[in-house]
Formats: sequence, structure tokens, C-alpha cells
Amino acid sequence: MITFKNIQVKYDNFVAIPDLTFDVKEGEFFTLLGPSGCGKTTTLRALAGFLKTSGGVISIDNKDITDVSVHERQVGMVFQSYALFPSMTAFENIAFGLKVEKKSKDYIKERVAELAQMVELTDEQLAKNVSNMSGGQQQRVAIARALAKKPKILVMDEPLSNLDAKLRKSLRKDIRNFQRKYGITMVYVTHDQEEALMLSDRIAVFNRGKLDQIGTPDEIYNHSKTEFVCKFIGDANYLSVRDMGSIGLNTNRFDNSNKFYIRPEKIYLSKEKRGLIIGKIISKEFYGMYAYYKIDVNGVEFQSFQSENNADDLAVGDDVSVFINFDDILSYSDEVKSDD
Amino acid sequence: MIRLKRLNIGTLILMVVFLWFMVSFVIVPNLELIKSVFFSNDGISIEKLKSIINSKRAMQGVKNSFLLAITLPITTTIIGIMEVLFLEYYDIQGRGFLKVAYMIPLVFGGIMLANGYLFTYGSRGFVTTILLTVFPHMNPAWFRGFGAVLFLMSFACTSTYIIFFRNAFKNIDYQTIEAARGLGSSDFKILLKVVFPTLKPIFLTCTILLFQTGLMAMAAPLMIGGRDFETISPLILTFTQRPSSRILAAVLSLFLGLMQLVLLYIIQRNERKGNFLSISKVKTTIKRVSISSKPLNFLSHLIAYAFAFINTVPLLVVLIFSFTDYKTISSRHINLKSFSLENYRLILTSDTAYRPFVTSVMYATAASIIVVLVMMVIARFIVKNKNKFSTILEMLIHIPWVFPGLMFALGLVITYSHPQKIVFNNVLTGSLVIMLIAYVVVLMPNTFRFLKASYFGVDQSLEDAARILGAKPLYSYIKIVLPIILPTALAMLAINFNSKLSDYDLSVFLYNPIAKPVGVVIRSNSNSEAGIEGLALNFVYSVFLMAINSLVFFFVYADGKNTIKNLFNSRKIKNES
Repeated sequence: MITFKNIQVKYDNFVAIPDLTFDVKEGEFFTLLGPSGCGKTTTLRALAGFLKTSGGVISIDNKDITDVSVHERQVGMVFQSYALFPSMTAFENIAFGLKVEKKSKDYIKERVAELAQMVELTDEQLAKNVSNMSGGQQQRVAIARALAKKPKILVMDEPLSNLDAKLRKSLRKDIRNFQRKYGITMVYVTHDQEEALMLSDRIAVFNRGKLDQIGTPDEIYNHSKTEFVCKFIGDANYLSVRDMGSIGLNTNRFDNSNKFYIRPEKIYLSKEKRGLIIGKIISKEFYGMYAYYKIDVNGVEFQSFQSENNADDLAVGDDVSVFINFDDILSYSDEVKSDD
Repeated sequence: MIRLKRLNIGTLILMVVFLWFMVSFVIVPNLELIKSVFFSNDGISIEKLKSIINSKRAMQGVKNSFLLAITLPITTTIIGIMEVLFLEYYDIQGRGFLKVAYMIPLVFGGIMLANGYLFTYGSRGFVTTILLTVFPHMNPAWFRGFGAVLFLMSFACTSTYIIFFRNAFKNIDYQTIEAARGLGSSDFKILLKVVFPTLKPIFLTCTILLFQTGLMAMAAPLMIGGRDFETISPLILTFTQRPSSRILAAVLSLFLGLMQLVLLYIIQRNERKGNFLSISKVKTTIKRVSISSKPLNFLSHLIAYAFAFINTVPLLVVLIFSFTDYKTISSRHINLKSFSLENYRLILTSDTAYRPFVTSVMYATAASIIVVLVMMVIARFIVKNKNKFSTILEMLIHIPWVFPGLMFALGLVITYSHPQKIVFNNVLTGSLVIMLIAYVVVLMPNTFRFLKASYFGVDQSLEDAARILGAKPLYSYIKIVLPIILPTALAMLAINFNSKLSDYDLSVFLYNPIAKPVGVVIRSNSNSEAGIEGLALNFVYSVFLMAINSLVFFFVYADGKNTIKNLFNSRKIKNES
């Protein structure tokens, strides 16, 4: 569906994207994830046509669109701020592109009604000025406007970043359900790991203009290819070769690796002293559904999340067995240069 | 290399015309003025500077201007702060009335105000006439000279405090005051130790602005100061009127230019130091405190109403006398039979009476429309194109800010009093167009700054959104950008119109005798030779100007459009229920 082949983007002498290659399948929810300034929005804007690439080819359905103008690319875009035209009503915003195309009034009316139904906007809401709408309603208008001209692809640039946590969670679900229901190919930009994991079919993790890993959320989280991805995508306990030795874990099976990470939820604790690794709980923070522990094992500190069922039994000062599955240990070597 | 590839042919033509305009009417006149001061036929010369130093009258004018510039910030700051405290900090009865009274200088200023004061407190003024019946031996010309000018200007300039200081004061976090009170501070100490230090940058800016106003004052020293208290600006005007002393005027105006540069430097340095920002997460608004001591409370009310009275009296006198007949205006004795609409009838029917007003309206309208339209294009170009050319353009636009209007007007008079190639060998001095050009030039920097800020406020993604939906640049400008910047453009249109409608300082140098603007006419009508008819017309002109100023303030600053809308909506709801 979408192919980026050896794409390069330069700002004067600064190379923002040196060489980028990836593809997005039809109907896929594809997320560009990374910290600020890593090149994800640049990539998205290059796809939408707002940025001129200095090398490589972008194609949609095997058609080279690298030099095609913005509005001819058949890409709809939802902006970070939604970019709704403040002097217009929701109806006028959605109809804007159709009016530019000089579609008939009847067609515009029909298409806007169809889109309003898709994004669940009422007639009353359509007549409202967008400045008087809630964040959720504004987002729906932005999606409807982006879809009005029936684009092949819908791109979204951090559309939830300006919202409060509660609304963000509920809109995430709306976006996911909407994409699944209509099978729209979506390219989504975010710096929020949780959002990316929850929404995406596949995630591309950016690090300083380069792709560190492309994969499903499970692959990205549980089998992070690089140390940067491992650290960026979620919390992890870092262990050096010496730490591994101190807690009695053999590093021979990890080839040349000298850096090890274990996610906190992959460390199991038990009061029954039947494990090989014994530690002491040095702190506990209770969060309702789970508890967060710090454990000391022979001078090495671990973090661990435990569900509330287990948490009830454990207290600060308790000696506990620490269970770690070797398959859950993510290992990296210094040879694989990480930019982080 | 400068990239100009985004320029279309229309913009290119506009740029060329604009550059020609800037060179002809901003750069050349100022250079000519400097040349006329420092160069003679024999080359560089400081003879003209010496002649100023040797002129007793000119040196006295410089001294007087400095005296006014130094004293004005002190008196205005005292009055201004007290007015703001009466409105926003202390619980004074009749706050609504005080608010209106303290805002009078915003709509009743400049030549109008000087005229009002002259008719109220002048040697044949209304109040003076009453005072003379009580104290027959008093000096009728008591309201004259430095004291009178300082008094008038101190109250007139409180508008600086009512706009800037009051806004800053209202933004103070009340919790800091409550915290200080909780720690045992008295209200007065809180003001000194907590509130005022926060407002230090505003104090400094107001002080500098007032120093500048005092130094360059024209209308008040000219009409109230008289020969006893001549300052630089009226002297420049006097010297300009005689070709033999025009060079003295040029030297004095250069001096003003130099002072302006120094003051701008100080303001910028002050701005760079930054402001004290509230670090409160949840700000609370100021709650007014009542003065517990009865004598102090009485004294505060007395002063608050005295200030209101001082502001209101000249305005009321002008308003009331505008509705009286010639006999009453002449005698200053008013009774029930005095009232008449004759002055208004005259202004609305007599060609000579309404022509100055129409002239001013036409000039102010034309200048404000031209400047707003041109600056809309130029500001947009500068915001969209960041290169050396746009930087140079921006610097050019700010030149009129650096030099005082008076210096620039004089430069125009000197430069274009003979044919100049750059304006196709035309003589512009005394023509109808030169005043319009001057208005446009002096309005440019402010209009540009506001419009530029407005363009910066337009989210780039709005235009991107329009572009991705297929809109061409002009279409997205008209449909998306224009509605966003339109309120600023309209506000600038109104403010510019207001500022030039009763202009005197620039107009007096540049007007054409067949098209006298109202500011100049008010000044000449205030002379005793103009007779009662002139005085009567001045009242009506002032009332009209005040009405227009008030309307502009209502719509631009007091959100008048929404006030009216809300009024209609509430009536509609009432009717429906």
C-alpha cells in the first residue's frame, strides 16, 4: 500500500532522516513511535506532501507520489491541534474540501451526513461552531473532514496529545474501533508508548531519524531489538554482567551480550522460600490494582509489579523468592550501537 | 542568497512600490534633515548647532522641555497609581462613576483637551469667570505657564496608567496579598513590599513613556504654556513657519530624535530584563479592601472624587456649552434660556463649518485603510519569508518609530519644498497628498507589529489542512487566515482612524490651506481672534470627536460587538419566555 524507499529529508545542512525504508499494508494501523525530534512527524509530513524529500521514493499502491502535490496524494490528515477552521461550523469544516472541489450542494450535504454518521456527530453538533465543541467532538469533526474526499490513507499527527488523560483513553478506543470498522489504512504518530501498543497493528520505533525496529506491539515490547527500544517502550530493570553474577544468573547462554533488561512485571515474587534467588523487600507502593516493589538481592536492586492478589501477602522487610524466566531477559551487547 | 521564488507578480509590484515609498518618504526626508543641519555649501559644519546654543529662546525651550519631562512622570505616577488603587484595590463608593471619569483622558485628549481646559480655566474661562466674581482681584491668567501645563498633562497622561498599569495590577495573584496579610503585614506595607515590586517593569515603561511625552509635548505647552513656558515642539513649529529659522527647527527636531533613540534603547533594555511572572498555579483575582480608619476612608473618597471632578469638568463644560448660544458662550453665564442646537445646525449645514471635520474624516479613513491593507500584505510576506530581504523590510518599517513624528514632518517639508527626482520632480510641500503620506508613515510600525503578531497567532496547520484539502493559497488566505486576523485588522483600522482624526502635531506642519484638518482648526479657533463662532464650533467638533473616540473604544477595547449581541440575545430570551 505505502512504500518508503531510501527516503532522505534534509533541512538545509541538517539531515533529519538519512535513509528510511519501510512499508505499510492496506487496512493496517501503523504507528510511528519515538521521542521528540526523532523524525516521526517529518516522516508523516513527507508522506502527506508538506515536506519535500531530498532523496528516495514514496509510493502509494505502487504509484510514485514523491513529487505529487499535497492534495493529489489522496491522503487525509488529522493534525495535532486538529486545525479546525475556527470561523466555521462543523458542517462547513467537513464540507471545506468538497467545496474546493466544487462538488454540488446536494452531494456535499449527502456526503457530510454520511461522514457525520460514521463519526457519530448529530445534526445539532454539525451546526455548531467548532470553537464551541468539546475535545472529543472536535476530534470527530477533524476525522470526518480528513475523510471527506475519500482518501486512500488517513494520517494522524499526535491527535490525542493535547487532551486530558481520561478523554485520551476514551478517544483511543474510538479511534481503534473506527479504524477496525471501516478498514481504513492509518498512519499514526505518537510519542506515547502505551497509546502505540494499544492502537497499532504494527509499530515503527524511531531513534534519531532512523528506524530501530518495526514489529507488532508484542514484538516491540517483549522482544525489543535494541536497547533503545527496550528502554523507550516501557520500564525495565537493567542488569550488568556483574549484577547477573551477583544474583546467580548465568550469562553464558546470551552469546556476546553484556547488558540485560527484565521488565518489572516479568519478575515474580513469592513468600515461599523455594526459589533459587532470595531477596528482601525494601519498599512498597500500593496502586490499587497492583503494587510496586523494590527488592534487594545481594546488593542488586530490582523493581517488580505484582497484582493485588499477591501484593496482600508481601510487606517491607519480608524475605521473598524471586522468579525470573530466562526467556524474559532482554539482552544487548555494546557492539550493537544504540543512539540512546 | 535571498530567495524570492514565492513572490508572484502582484506581490513583486507591491514590493517595488513599497520600497520606493519607504525610500522617498522615510529615508530621504530624514537624511535631508540631517544634511541640512550638518552640511553647508563648504562641507561639514557645526555652525547651526552653535546657533541653537546661542539662541536664548531655543535653549530655554530645551530646559523647559526637560523640566516637563522630568516632573511629568512623577506627578502622573502619583495620580495614576492612586486612580488605579481607587478602582481596583480600595473599596470606594461609586466605583462605576469613577471608572468612567478616570477613562475620560482616553477619549478626550490632545488638542481637544487643551481647548477644553483653556475654555474652563483660561483667562476668560468658565471657572475663571466664576472665580473672578468671588475673588475680583485675582489674576485672570492664573492658569498659565509650567504649573498649568503640568497640571493638565498629569491628568491627561493618566491614561497610560489606566491602560497598562491597571491591567498589570488586575493580574496580580491575590493569594500573594492574602499570604502577606496572614503573615501580619499591613495593607500599605503589602502594596509597597508585595504588589509594587511585581509591577516594577510596568512602572519603568510608564515612566519612560511619560518622560517621552513630556519632552515632546505640543498641544498643552502651545495653548496653555504660552510665551512663559515654551517647549521644544511648539518652538520647532514656530521656527518652521519662518524659512530663515527653519534650520533651528531642524536642529531641535534632531535633538528630539536623539532623545527618542536613547529612550527606545532604555525601554528595550527594560523589556529584556523580563517581567515578574506569577508562579501561582491557581490564580485568584484581587478583592477590594475597605479602609478601616474612618478619617482615611473619608480622605480617600475625597481625593478619588476630586480626581474624577478634575477630569470631568472640562469635558462637561465643552459638552454643555456646545448646546448653548453665542451670547452664553461669550458671557460664560448660563441659564435655562441659553440652550440651543444652533451650533450643531451650523456644523451640519455650513460648508465652512463641516469641511474641516469631513477633511479629517477623509484623511484619517484613507490613511488607516491604506496602512492596514498594505501592512496586511507586507506582514504576511515577512512572516512567510524569513530571509535578508524580509529583515531589511521589517527594519525599514520600524524607522518611523525611531524618529519622532515632528522630525519626520519637518524632513518632509524641507525635502519636498522643491522638485525632487525621486518623486518625479514634483513639489509636495503644501500639496494635498503630503499629509496623507505622513499619516500612513507614522501609522505603519504599530499596525505592522499588531498584524505580524496576529499572523504569528495563526496555526500553520490550519493552512496545511486547507492545502491538503485542495485549497489554493489565495483561497485558504481568504477563507481561513483572513477571518482570524480580521478582528486585529479592524481594531487597527479603528485605532488608526481615531489617532489621526484629531491629529494636530503632524498636520500643523503639512496641511494644505484648502483642506484644513479639524485638529488645526480647533487650534486656530481657540485663538481670541477666531471669535465666538470659532469657539462654539470647537465645542461641537470636540463632542463629535469624543463620540467617535468613545465608539471606537467601546468596540475595540470593551468588546462592544459582543456586549450588543448579548444585549439582543437576553432581550430575545426575555421575549420568548
